[in-house]
Amino acid sequence: MNNKNQLGFYLDSGACIGCKACIIACKDKNDLPVNINWRRVIEYCGGSWNSEKGNFVPSGVYVYYLSVSCQHCESPPCLEACPSSAISKGDDGIVHIDQEKCIHDQSCLYACPYDAPQFGSDTARMSKCDMCADLRAIDKNPACVDACPLRALSWGKMDELREKYGNITAIDPLPDGSITSPSMILTPHRHTRLLSNGKGHVTDLPEKAPTEINGIGPNIIKQLK
Amino acid sequence: MKNATTSRRNFFKTAGMLAAGITVLPSNSIKGALLPYKISPVVKRHVRSVEGKWVPVVCWHDCGGRCALKALVVNNKILRVKSDDTHMDTPDYPQQRACLRGRSQRMQVCGPDRLKYPMRRKSWAPGGGDKSLRGKDEWVRISWDEALDIVVNELKRIKEEYGNESIFSPGGEIKRTLNLFGGCVDSWSNDSLGSWMGSGKQIGLYAKKPNNGFDWVGCIGDRMDMRNCQLVVMWGVNPAWSSPGSPTYNFLQVKKAGAKFIFIDPFYSSSAAILADDWYPVRPGTDHAMILGIMHTLLNEDNPVNNPLIDWDFLNRCTVGFDKYHMPEGADPSENFKDYLLGKNDGQPKDAEWAAEICGIPAARIKILAREIANTKKVALLTSWAPARVNNSDSWPQAFMTLGCMTGHIGESGRMTGTSIHIATGNGGPPLVYAGNTGLEEIPNQVGGGSNYTRGRPEEKLSIPGNQIWSAILTGEYTAGKDRNRKVDIRLMYLGGVTNMLGSREGQKKGFEAIKKPDFIVCHAHFLNTTAQYSDVVLPVTTQWERDGLLQDDGNREVIFLGSKAIEPLFESRDDMWIAKEIGARLGLDTRLIESATQAQQLYNSASGAMVIKDDGKGYEPLLTITEEDIKNIGVVGSPQKGRITFKELREKGVYQVPRSPNDNFRHIPLEDFRKDPVKNPLTTRSGKLEIHCSDLAEFVAAFGWSVIKPIPEYVQPIEGYEASFSDWKTKTKSKYPLQFYSVHYLRRAGSTYDNVSWLREAWPQEFFINPLDAEVRGINHGDTIKATSRHGTVIRRAHITSRIRPGVTSMGAGAWSELDEKLGVDNAGSSNMLAGDITTGQGTSGWNSCLLEVEKYGKELIPDHKWPARILFKNEIHE
Ligand code: SF4
Ligand code: SF4
Ligand code: SF4
Repeated sequence: MNNKNQLGFYLDSGACIGCKACIIACKDKNDLPVNINWRRVIEYCGGSWNSEKGNFVPSGVYVYYLSVSCQHCESPPCLEACPSSAISKGDDGIVHIDQEKCIHDQSCLYACPYDAPQFGSDTARMSKCDMCADLRAIDKNPACVDACPLRALSWGKMDELREKYGNITAIDPLPDGSITSPSMILTPHRHTRLLSNGKGHVTDLPEKAPTEINGIGPNIIKQLK
Repeated sequence: MKNATTSRRNFFKTAGMLAAGITVLPSNSIKGALLPYKISPVVKRHVRSVEGKWVPVVCWHDCGGRCALKALVVNNKILRVKSDDTHMDTPDYPQQRACLRGRSQRMQVCGPDRLKYPMRRKSWAPGGGDKSLRGKDEWVRISWDEALDIVVNELKRIKEEYGNESIFSPGGEIKRTLNLFGGCVDSWSNDSLGSWMGSGKQIGLYAKKPNNGFDWVGCIGDRMDMRNCQLVVMWGVNPAWSSPGSPTYNFLQVKKAGAKFIFIDPFYSSSAAILADDWYPVRPGTDHAMILGIMHTLLNEDNPVNNPLIDWDFLNRCTVGFDKYHMPEGADPSENFKDYLLGKNDGQPKDAEWAAEICGIPAARIKILAREIANTKKVALLTSWAPARVNNSDSWPQAFMTLGCMTGHIGESGRMTGTSIHIATGNGGPPLVYAGNTGLEEIPNQVGGGSNYTRGRPEEKLSIPGNQIWSAILTGEYTAGKDRNRKVDIRLMYLGGVTNMLGSREGQKKGFEAIKKPDFIVCHAHFLNTTAQYSDVVLPVTTQWERDGLLQDDGNREVIFLGSKAIEPLFESRDDMWIAKEIGARLGLDTRLIESATQAQQLYNSASGAMVIKDDGKGYEPLLTITEEDIKNIGVVGSPQKGRITFKELREKGVYQVPRSPNDNFRHIPLEDFRKDPVKNPLTTRSGKLEIHCSDLAEFVAAFGWSVIKPIPEYVQPIEGYEASFSDWKTKTKSKYPLQFYSVHYLRRAGSTYDNVSWLREAWPQEFFINPLDAEVRGINHGDTIKATSRHGTVIRRAHITSRIRPGVTSMGAGAWSELDEKLGVDNAGSSNMLAGDITTGQGTSGWNSCLLEVEKYGKELIPDHKWPARILFKNEIHE
């Protein structure tokens, strides 16, 4: 099962300021309209305030960010779910949606725990990150990676990323890595274990149609406290 | 799954349309928004992977950053952008990567809402017409000839009837024309710097050393020296939001080098998210009280032998006014800072307990912080201008400096005290590379002019303080110094230079009233922003991407940019200079004076005069090699020269960055010489030292005529600060406006620019930040629509409930383009200037960060910002 060529992303959550330059670079490169976000940034926040001698003092207030796109999972449920076999996994492990075959029934969106596939009401197709296949083909980095002002994003072969950065693939509020074996390695934010402890919450405001807020969909919103 | 049937039906419908050759352009789609041209999806797919022509372009907004951008241009269309790829990226020599706004620049330049034609409002008539319709009138497309004639006729009429004293113009190229025309009323402000504007200079921190000029950009050390710090105190500093681009990344290197970071801020900021080891959530506008508590603690606990916390040597040698033995000449010895701290004269020691009640940080924590700052050897005490954008904050810069003086964190490697702000965020020092003078000669204004720098002596020219513009229009009067009001009768407003004055001034509700008064309002604009909306005539101008560029050195000290023209002017937009000359010609003025150096000449001048620091760090040398051929291409007369890089290379890359390494010769340690020998290297203050007692500052402030301060940094309550949120301070009974409010730089915008870009609206919705405790007692849930009301105005927004903001405090990004509901008098877009009052204090300082309000739940749903219709006029006429 271990594909030696599997590509993946790396995110240093400890360096991510949630600025969303990566989202905008992705939109620019891929000509994405509003409502379609192949990359999303999740703000995860927690902590509370105590009253102390008439003053309020913060108790473990923290915030950190996770920039996520398609995780190009090793066991992608989206692929299984697609009734028209529009989704495939390439030799490099990149998960593709064949636009010609897509019948946009959105099964993949409901299957994917990362809300990666995005429904384009204009194109009437599902679409998602292909790790900038075209840029990689001419030896360039994916647009989001080159955009990050904090150099928090990177990409490469999963084996190499693991060697360099370890093998953490999930921190709150992401789904357990064992579900899909996502191809993303994370350096956890310093507050991930100290403070967050599963008690934080996603603070991006959900809209009535939750898939529409910054592309963060029902599966992550579900984990809102 | 349950949507499958409907979706499938949609699919077939769309497929049919595509088959029939109909382009589907959803209103909010990039295909609609990207360009006023049609590009087939196939073409786009193709060019994505094809290297088209990448034109270096500039990002030109007042954002606090400055980054490299390139636009991919095919057939006069911009298909995408990229940022700096001109050199390998390392922490020492980082690429100048653009922020999300620069990255979305093409959505702005080529937005569907770019103004296409000159236009006037329908009910306008010579003399004004029905002025009450401003802001809601229809727009009529007119020709340039008609537009220019209208403007010229109104200018002539107003001049004849009321004189040049009735023409107001705050800036832009048109000012050159108006100055030649006899002059116009001007405006001044210290909007950005707040009370650092004058105070920073008077006390010595911004004082220029003769022959080694630096002002605020040089008041802290450079980014390499900052890596020597053991502790960095970020007092109101949030570069992640207010100085995007490289600064936060540079701070990350400081952290990686081992420094501890302490944030003092009402909000647990995004910079704190990655940097903070500790956080002190101070109440807005009470920073001064908190710092007094810190300094009192030092004084109280200091023991030169057992517990040395104070650098007495530094205080004694380098400052005046700390105690009665070190007073400046002629000062009353009892008016020393030490006695004020101890409460000798007023009976109130400014101890940590006193400070805690005001600033909201428990006394024990204040003391811990005081000891930590004093006991750490190498500390950077950094603040932004934000805590000084508070009414009555004129002494705050001096108080901040005094902490640096007491602890001696000034003038040595890894030790600095000052402002980390704008282009000098986390990287202070004189420029390592700079552009030559463009050669555009100044045209004196006979009527208006004069900034706060020249104030303090009677102002002979008409110059309205920015925060009194609206009241000056309404009342015909403004404050022109102590006991001195001046009459002004503004009949014509010429808002050139793409200003969005109506959106960016506090007291905006008054602004909406005042803007209906003048006879004539004309503006230059890219979009129908708030100011354009309320004008009579709007002239569409080109963006920088439609013009030939000049060398641009308004970024951090290590970079210089040269943008090129990427596309031809869109629709009928024209350059500001073209308009200035056309109007000049029609007024019978000499247009050669208006454009005293052609664009080509300015480019040549800025290039040939560009200088770069020598490798040894001692002096500058020419940056550019310019050949005969370059000169011919530019189209000017000049002589070839030798420099470090070729003009051609700069043209192609669009950016030159001075390479840096930790041991290079470009370090900046401000006040190093001064610290070593203050007698031999005096500052430009009266005493030559850092002035903890500064009579010049007190006199300077008093001369403005609003309020007075003491020569030593005594705390003065802000007008609408925390204390004023109580009707009774003793019993802590809250007033009608119990919550504090302050506005911040927000990543959706730079100032008020970019607010219309749909991508940015989606990424950064304009939300109202409030603590869960304050929300809960008001029955407000996350995402609820709320109504926030201050003494000055009302906005409607969605609540973003977060523990990151301190209880009792609320906040919003500044610069939203108002969507005024005139009937209800509320702004649905949430412009923070509706909430901030036009209150002026001290040296003309506004109170953006000292506001009070009340919040309640509001019944109606708000459409998300990115779904608001773009302000598109004359839609049907597609540019081919
Ligand atoms: S660009 Fe970088 S820092 Fe900004 S949100 Fe994306 S990953 Fe985070
Ligand atoms: S992240 Fe979602 S869309 Fe991407 S491979 Fe995994 S399951 Fe599929
Ligand atoms: S920081 Fe400023 S210059 Fe840099 S990309 Fe953003 S808006 Fe442009």
